[in-house]
Amino acid sequence: MRAILAHSGVHAQSRKFDISMSGLIVGDHDGTRTLHSSGTWSHAVVRVLSGMKERMGTVQHDEQGGIRIQAMSKREWLNFVDRLIKENEGEVIGVRARGSRFQYAPLESAEELRLDYDVTILPPKKYLLPTHEDLMTFDISKPFEVLANIDEGKRILLGVHPYDVLAIQQMDEIYLGTHRDEHYDARRKNTIIIASDILNVSERSFAGSLGTHVVETGFDLLVTDLGDTVAVTIGSEEGKRLLDTHSETREATLEEKKHVKRLRKELPSRYARKLKVDKYMWQKLLEENYDHPIWEENSKKCLQCGSCTLVCPTCFCYDVDDVMSLNLKEGRRVRTWDGCLLRDFTRVAGGEIFRENIKDRYRHRYYRKGLYLPMRNGFVACVGCGRCATQCLPDIADPCEIMNTLASFSMHEKVNFPIPDVKVAGVEEGLLIPEPATILRKERQTDMETLYEIRPDSGRRLEYRPGQFVEVSIFGVGEAPISIASSPGRDTFELLVRRIGHVTTKLDTMKVGEKIGIRGPFGNGFDVSGIAGRDILFISGGCGLAPTRSLIEYVLENRGDFGKVTILYGCKEPGAVLFGNDLQEWSRKNDVLVKKTVDQCGEGECWDGEVGLITTLIPPLDFDPERTISIVVGPPVMYKFVISELKKKEVPDENIVVSLERRMKCGVGKCGHCQMNGIYVCLEGPVFRYTDVKDMPEAF
Amino acid sequence: MGRDIDIEVRHLTRVEGHGNIYLNARSGKVEKVLWEVDEAPRFFEAMVRGKSYHQLSHITSRICGICSISHSLASLKATEAAMGVEISKQTELLRRLALYGENLQSHTLHVGYLVAPDLLGAGSVIPLVKTAKEAVVKIVGLHRTANMLSEAICGRATHPITLEVGGFTEIPTERALLGMREELENAKGVCTDVAGVVLAHADRLPDFTRETEFIALTNDENYAFYDGDLGSTDGGRWPVEEYLSITNEYVVPHSTAKYTRHNRESYMVGALARFNLNHAMLSKEAMEVAGMFGLKPVCHNPFMNNVAQLVEIMDSLVDSIGIIDELLDRGLEEESGEIEVRAGRGVGAVHAPRGLLIHDYTIDGLGNCTKANCIIPTNQNHANIQKDMEELAPAIIDKPAKEIELTLEMLVRAYDPCISCSTHYIDVNFR
Amino acid sequence: MKPRVAFFDFASCEGCQLQVINLEEKILDLIDVVEVVSFREAMKESSDDYDIAFVEGSIMRPMDEERLKRIRKNARILVALGACACIGGVNRLRNEWSVDEVKKEVYDEADIEGNRLFDVFPTKAVDEVVDVDFRIPGCPINREEFAKVVAHLAIGKEPRLPSYPVCVECKKNENICVFELGKFCLGPVTRAGCNAICPTHGDGCEGCRGYLDDPRMEAAKDVLRKYGVSFDEMMKRFNMFNYRKGAI
Repeated sequence: MRAILAHSGVHAQSRKFDISMSGLIVGDHDGTRTLHSSGTWSHAVVRVLSGMKERMGTVQHDEQGGIRIQAMSKREWLNFVDRLIKENEGEVIGVRARGSRFQYAPLESAEELRLDYDVTILPPKKYLLPTHEDLMTFDISKPFEVLANIDEGKRILLGVHPYDVLAIQQMDEIYLGTHRDEHYDARRKNTIIIASDILNVSERSFAGSLGTHVVETGFDLLVTDLGDTVAVTIGSEEGKRLLDTHSETREATLEEKKHVKRLRKELPSRYARKLKVDKYMWQKLLEENYDHPIWEENSKKCLQCGSCTLVCPTCFCYDVDDVMSLNLKEGRRVRTWDGCLLRDFTRVAGGEIFRENIKDRYRHRYYRKGLYLPMRNGFVACVGCGRCATQCLPDIADPCEIMNTLASFSMHEKVNFPIPDVKVAGVEEGLLIPEPATILRKERQTDMETLYEIRPDSGRRLEYRPGQFVEVSIFGVGEAPISIASSPGRDTFELLVRRIGHVTTKLDTMKVGEKIGIRGPFGNGFDVSGIAGRDILFISGGCGLAPTRSLIEYVLENRGDFGKVTILYGCKEPGAVLFGNDLQEWSRKNDVLVKKTVDQCGEGECWDGEVGLITTLIPPLDFDPERTISIVVGPPVMYKFVISELKKKEVPDENIVVSLERRMKCGVGKCGHCQMNGIYVCLEGPVFRYTDVKDMPEAF
Repeated sequence: MGRDIDIEVRHLTRVEGHGNIYLNARSGKVEKVLWEVDEAPRFFEAMVRGKSYHQLSHITSRICGICSISHSLASLKATEAAMGVEISKQTELLRRLALYGENLQSHTLHVGYLVAPDLLGAGSVIPLVKTAKEAVVKIVGLHRTANMLSEAICGRATHPITLEVGGFTEIPTERALLGMREELENAKGVCTDVAGVVLAHADRLPDFTRETEFIALTNDENYAFYDGDLGSTDGGRWPVEEYLSITNEYVVPHSTAKYTRHNRESYMVGALARFNLNHAMLSKEAMEVAGMFGLKPVCHNPFMNNVAQLVEIMDSLVDSIGIIDELLDRGLEEESGEIEVRAGRGVGAVHAPRGLLIHDYTIDGLGNCTKANCIIPTNQNHANIQKDMEELAPAIIDKPAKEIELTLEMLVRAYDPCISCSTHYIDVNFR
Repeated sequence: MKPRVAFFDFASCEGCQLQVINLEEKILDLIDVVEVVSFREAMKESSDDYDIAFVEGSIMRPMDEERLKRIRKNARILVALGACACIGGVNRLRNEWSVDEVKKEVYDEADIEGNRLFDVFPTKAVDEVVDVDFRIPGCPINREEFAKVVAHLAIGKEPRLPSYPVCVECKKNENICVFELGKFCLGPVTRAGCNAICPTHGDGCEGCRGYLDDPRMEAAKDVLRKYGVSFDEMMKRFNMFNYRKGAI
């Protein structure tokens, strides 16, 4: 374990991950992401398969240009493994029997290694992204003595099958491609992979149909058990060093090389499960079958136990929570595996569950694997290991069966799920460790909401765009995403917080001068330059005024750059009005029109606005639909009705901008909770052009 | 002196379950002294009717949280006897370890957490954390070791998971047993230290003797925790199947309580009974602990039950190490066998920490229980507690009321009553 | 100020309070951050002045109800401890028969008429008598979860139980699914938080932590039928801790 003092702001080592990732990336790889519209991705997958070679370095070749294969006797192989265990090359993790099945576990002797296994219960991923991991430890009696736990222990993974090697490469792309995850990075760099060719095929695997039964790169060594001898393909300099140091090998004979080749060639025919449709067709099938009856039918049988995602080598979603020890001093921020099949996966602090329908959760997993991730990253997030199918008690989790069904009975009603092209700004390093910040001012707005003025202790100015959000940390309690409510360009920023979950309830009890943690800013804000010169119509409901205020202030500070400015605000009742002073101040301006309304107003309550839903403010409004950009932010239920009123005014879709709420946990597109079809709201959102999301089934 | 004294201890503390003590004396003469149990009845014998043979130990384990392993094992033995299921030597050895784990836990809890405060003049172990931290830390450590042993064998210290009809759902690894062996070795020294702490305050244990009968399992091979015949200090040895003629449950005319009696009007079970009957089977180390306190068979001072528990802690540690060595010597083996459902009746007896525990089941041809009876250690002791009180109270009636109250409390606590157990089906009411 | 904590028990085996003692060395932390004012199983002192009441056990008699209502009145926060308190647990098994019938089975001819100690009604969980603020389920409770709840209450973070089934923890433990071993398991419909302790030790889940808020009962029964579990067997297993809780 390596300790990092968070407040130092300096990580113990600044390292550049030097492994070339280009093989896995679709399109250009200059740090930005391009729009992967549906037409381009199958080409991308071809690139993935051909471009992986650089991943682990260079495979050694012989003089004739063929791949160099070494060989040794079985006894020498066992000696080699025993030496690895004894010679302090790191913890040797190999495949061992667990009852009638297999698992990766520390090896005590070479005898325990079972290269004849079919598949392990959990993938080797558990040594790169553990089921439970302390991201950091802290002592709340000494604010911000936060120690990041970075596991730099050396490990050798022994016996990794090709499909799992490929799955690890996918994990690398997710965790190291953009927004490098330091915890994963440390483990990955210190892990040596000794892969093994498949000797026995797992009953539910269909790797043969996906081409994931063999692998050419992504390992340090690849062994093939030939019975009396073992052939070894060298995949990296480190692999060669291990082999040279701890074993005596000779060049494989021609016969042995042929044997290896034959084994790999014959392997696909040994799979009982076969895809009837090429994997390049998955995306098309899914685009055309969003409403296929199989989702409803199968979801009725689904236990919602999450097993399919938990045993998957390519699933990478996680949850994070703080755990306090009983002495109320030490605490840990713990990352655990999570899965999109579980009901609360999309639950936000207010209680809303965005994928509440079981059918939607059941379907989401297939779309993520077969459509959304391929669009984002260029690979099908399934390597055909069959673990999900093996573990699913009702037997409805098998991608092979689903794709075969869709292929034989397709609906042909195409739905598009484009991912908006957003240049992701903001932090790339030290993503998970919050920086300390101080509460400078607290201003109670309503019973439930309070405005906080915050300043980072480092003195750095938070560079953000209106509409972006930060993750607020309270050690021992957890993290919550909060929109920034103030205009950028100052040394401090403001957050409007509704007391509704763990973090916000605790924050409510904190005093001026106390410290919180901040990560961010995250997400995509309002395109301030894109709307310059236009009339702006702000339509905000409830807490939606918080991010809107950031933009309103910006617009008013740069008043000359914009045309007419109209602000519509609605909330439940007079007592729930937010930013009352600001509303008053804005309405005093000659060049701003402010209209406000409440859903209901009790008798005798003091209220100088309208009474009625916010939608009632739109029809009487006089504005030029072509010139006006409408900024719509409010509770989920509001959008449909407001947009329908705007459409009656003939506002074109491209003039509407929305900001959507989802469960934004990590802020960097990894934990998976905020996903809305193929979109990560924490990356491409929360601010969206309406045209980008209007056809997303999960958007509104 | 001729004082009037009225003592009422509602819900006696630092015992398992709810019990009350009443004493009324007029003009220095005890008119009434009562040990009353005020725990809600739970009707386990009624509940298990119709349940499958494989559920019985899981349900009856819930009779008592402190002696759930004993209940599970008595239940399994009764079920296996009824259906004619044989168990392996390995299973027997592992089960004995499980029983020792529980015995160590229960005795440490009792002597360390419940009795020690009386000896050290505190209301509970909490103030002792400040005044006698070193002793408390040792006791806590011993308690942890005990639970580790139960967890290693049963998967969980309370309400065991792995114990099943015919054997185990999971057996410990050799590595785990080796680790446990080391823990137990270290615990021997801790046990001696704890005994030393008790010895330093042993003068607080009243010197009170009332002759009674002691009943316990007994055999010719070991200290008879897991198996044996029924034995009595008044002489005699009977197979457990004849338990009904020993325990002789009867109903007191003026109350609803079922009492037990054998040769005399009451008898005692528990650590002191086992010591009195089976002392010859104790290890050298355990006898040394007995020697520290001058405990010799046959001892009729119920307060010495606390000391007998200390002796048993040492013996359980020593014998557990022996069993682990035997298991490692034999090599551990995954065992599996089909259970054949068969109708029949079976009696299973083990020693719970508090004494003789018997389950008696009748099982039908479908493997369902049709009739159950459980004889609980504390039930067997209730009458003896009452008789002791009746003799002890007049002897101390001239002492200050607070001291009388404390002494009566200490008497009940010495029996380590497990009231949840004893009221698994019945309430004892002396009024 | 340290929160004042009290423990109470009703019809139960007191095994859940034992888990508090089984925190071993961590008890020293516990008594450091809260003030334990009543804990009959372990201490002599007691007080009616407390903030948090932990209540173990089921409610069986009118006299228990009265006592429980007094506790509710005194406590700012009432936490139900264990299966007996949270869902009735095994105590509920006797509700299959009438009170008179079970009394006759156990006491036979003994005269218990009119004795208030025997004035029992069908077993109730604590929340069938008073409002419960939080629950720590399980038979027995998981002491780690207890420690977590106490820590949360003490720092003002609302304790929340897992909303996912035992399978999640079981998979993370890399267990062989007990269905594969030919055993019965309620893991798919039972609330996690026990770290799948029973399947991890080779036994099926018995449902002691109660069902999820939205258990997939029909899907679970389909699976059980697929594995050849008879209706009778299913009924016995479902009923063990969750007697007639909507399952069958």
